[in-house]
Amino acid sequence: MKRYIYLLLLMICISTNAQTNVVTIVPKVDSVFLSKLTGGFFYEKKQYIGDQFFNNDWANGDILLSTGVMIYDKSLKYNGLFDELIWLNTFNFGKFKLDKSFIAEFWLKNISGADIHFKQIKVSDTSNVKRQCVFAEVKVEGKLSLYIQRKISVIGSENVYRNGVLYNYDDIQATPRYYIKLPSNHYLMLTKLRRRAFLKLFPEKKKDIAKIIRVNHLNIKQELDFVRLIELMNNEVVL
Amino acid sequence: MLLLKKIFFILLVQQVALVYCDIKAQTSGSEIAYLQTDRTVYIAGESIYYKLYILDTATKKRSVPSSKVGYIILRAVNSTPSLKIRVNVNEGMANGSIALPDTLTSGVYQVIAFTSAMRNSGEESFFHKEITIANRFDKSLDFKLLKGNKDYNLTHIQSLEPLIKLDKPAYGTREKVIVHLAKTNCKANVSVSVFEESKMPSTYKSIVETVNDSSVAQKTKRVTNYHSTESKGKILRGTVVDVKTKQTIKDAVILLSCVDTIPNLQYAVANSNGLFQMLLSDYYDGKELFLTIKDAPENNNWKILIEDEFAQSEKWNPLLNSDNENYREFIVKSQNIVYINKSYKLNEDANDKQLIDVKSVCPQFYHCPVVTILPSDFVPLPDFLEIAVEILPQVRIIKEKGKYCVQIFNDLLRQYDRRSPAIFLDGVYVDDIDKIIGLGSEQIKKIDVIDVERAFGDLVFSGVISITSKANEMINTKPASYSVRLKNDNVNTGGNLVAVNPNTLHNPNIPFLKQLLYWNPNMELNGTDDTKFEFYTSDNLANYSIKVEGISEDGTPINASSGIQITNKINSTEK
Repeated sequence: MKRYIYLLLLMICISTNAQTNVVTIVPKVDSVFLSKLTGGFFYEKKQYIGDQFFNNDWANGDILLSTGVMIYDKSLKYNGLFDELIWLNTFNFGKFKLDKSFIAEFWLKNISGADIHFKQIKVSDTSNVKRQCVFAEVKVEGKLSLYIQRKISVIGSENVYRNGVLYNYDDIQATPRYYIKLPSNHYLMLTKLRRRAFLKLFPEKKKDIAKIIRVNHLNIKQELDFVRLIELMNNEVVL
Repeated sequence: MLLLKKIFFILLVQQVALVYCDIKAQTSGSEIAYLQTDRTVYIAGESIYYKLYILDTATKKRSVPSSKVGYIILRAVNSTPSLKIRVNVNEGMANGSIALPDTLTSGVYQVIAFTSAMRNSGEESFFHKEITIANRFDKSLDFKLLKGNKDYNLTHIQSLEPLIKLDKPAYGTREKVIVHLAKTNCKANVSVSVFEESKMPSTYKSIVETVNDSSVAQKTKRVTNYHSTESKGKILRGTVVDVKTKQTIKDAVILLSCVDTIPNLQYAVANSNGLFQMLLSDYYDGKELFLTIKDAPENNNWKILIEDEFAQSEKWNPLLNSDNENYREFIVKSQNIVYINKSYKLNEDANDKQLIDVKSVCPQFYHCPVVTILPSDFVPLPDFLEIAVEILPQVRIIKEKGKYCVQIFNDLLRQYDRRSPAIFLDGVYVDDIDKIIGLGSEQIKKIDVIDVERAFGDLVFSGVISITSKANEMINTKPASYSVRLKNDNVNTGGNLVAVNPNTLHNPNIPFLKQLLYWNPNMELNGTDDTKFEFYTSDNLANYSIKVEGISEDGTPINASSGIQITNKINSTEK
């Protein structure tokens, strides 16, 4: 009896499905109406000694456009030498430097196991004369924010023989810039992580900051400890 | 035997899952539209105040994540649309007003409300309502009316009917009326209308009948031409066809742009059926759209056919009754009231157009620095050929097989790129180079050039030439055979009724005659207390209906009605 009931149920199900009339592949609207990335062709000059990219391998990344639209899962590389975001169009395999003014933020996924968040910030250049927009890694955001521009600079050049031909190669190296955003929205910049130089930026809070460094055994020459210090300052120092 | 049992069990589970998926697929994404209007009888020149509800078929709740666009059509008996209106739906609701043109002929009209997603369930799932419109100057009034009211016999109708409490059944003229709407069990949003009873026939389903009419959900049929839910905005749909062979063209790249100071572009790729869709953001509202096909082959017969989002395949043939003698008096009275209000300029009840939070973003073709050349800085040159030779060193125009080709010098290749750059005239992608060849220094205001390879999504161009003319030359050009120009409609932003206190009129002796005393499309019921609203009666002595319709948070329809009488026999004390 039980077997017949099961058989009957199965027959009903099969017959119901046989009459199913909605078997339509529904087009996914989002994939059709995504905003389009815009950029110019990127010619990758390879005559460098050192890495010009923050991530040498193409990373999967998301982009927040200045219009507020998110674009997901694009193959991206951040070029620290030119401060450009490079996009590999997997449709035509062209490499394009994306229009900078169109990009507000981007995330590079799974770089050494972590997602790296970059944001475009407007800061003064070293001469403090004009302001420029740069992509900087977001480390801390709060009352005090810390952004690190993963800048790569040419520090010299070398003549190199390749297959009997003499080439001139540029020596490049990471020269990060640390931008601390104050509650007043002004940026302070450090090119090197030194305790004295950092304390000079906050003359009125010097003692409090020195105490935090001492109590937490921080070596601010190390980037990790410096990030930790900014986090602690956000919690403990009245700015 | 055990193996057989296992196979049998797996088969059973699979079949049950298939049935479940099918039921879910049929109900998900399908919607119900319901349109409440302030009245059912209008005089041409008046406004129809409306409230549109878009509900989810399965849950009967306002479909918050679904359609953001609603369509309303007003059509006459010959099925010719008199008005086509697009509305922005927010959290499953939209409201506003539709100004009826003065020129409408007297007769019965049908109001249709729907969303694009509802086309998947067929036009019979659209909301239909019949109304009567009389022309203000029509003295003969020999038009036909609907034959009786349609009855919808629906059983097990679940609805909320909040009690409408009035302090008295009859009021004097220009008297304040305070109405209490008894509390409902849960929060709800309703629209309230107080209007003069007409007794004229009008067939439409109430919100309770619409929501509980399960036939809407069951009418899901085989979808051959699927309409995506317009959850982000209006979707422009079209097909690319070869007009000679009648075959659809797949993989054609359709480009859309419009006249602007900034070169703008949007593209779509036709699918295997030649169908393409484009999201039209509010940037395109009211603008002229220029559509073309990228790299259309020479001597092609390709054509872009745009779908009319308002198209109705079903004709409307109502049963009409030639005898309208019983209602003639009411129509004449309505005509006179409109005439008096027009004479005294008392018909400006509607507030200004609703402000829409427009965040339109231009789909710019590039966001990078360009080389700008102003021809006015140089000696006048007769045409673009001369301009290219004399002042655009990175641009070359050659003639190949009798056709002009524009090429851009590629700095990396150290030669002119054979691929065509993107050429824009007044922000519009140019479908035929001949359109710019004749433009000289007299016509051109500025030229922007980008001489590097550009990517726009998956499209690649050898560069960009953007020409801004002094007198919008693009408007005067004729589209190529494979291009199309069309005017995009505007979103209806009609205002709502503003209740007037007759006691604040600067001249109390002027007649204050109203057939619509109150209209509130967005009354929130908090579910815990009574809701109070007030309005003033007018000098128009008649019986009025108070109609409350809406939907609660849990998807229960709300429908309540009551009546008041305005008479001059009452010595009102509370004016």
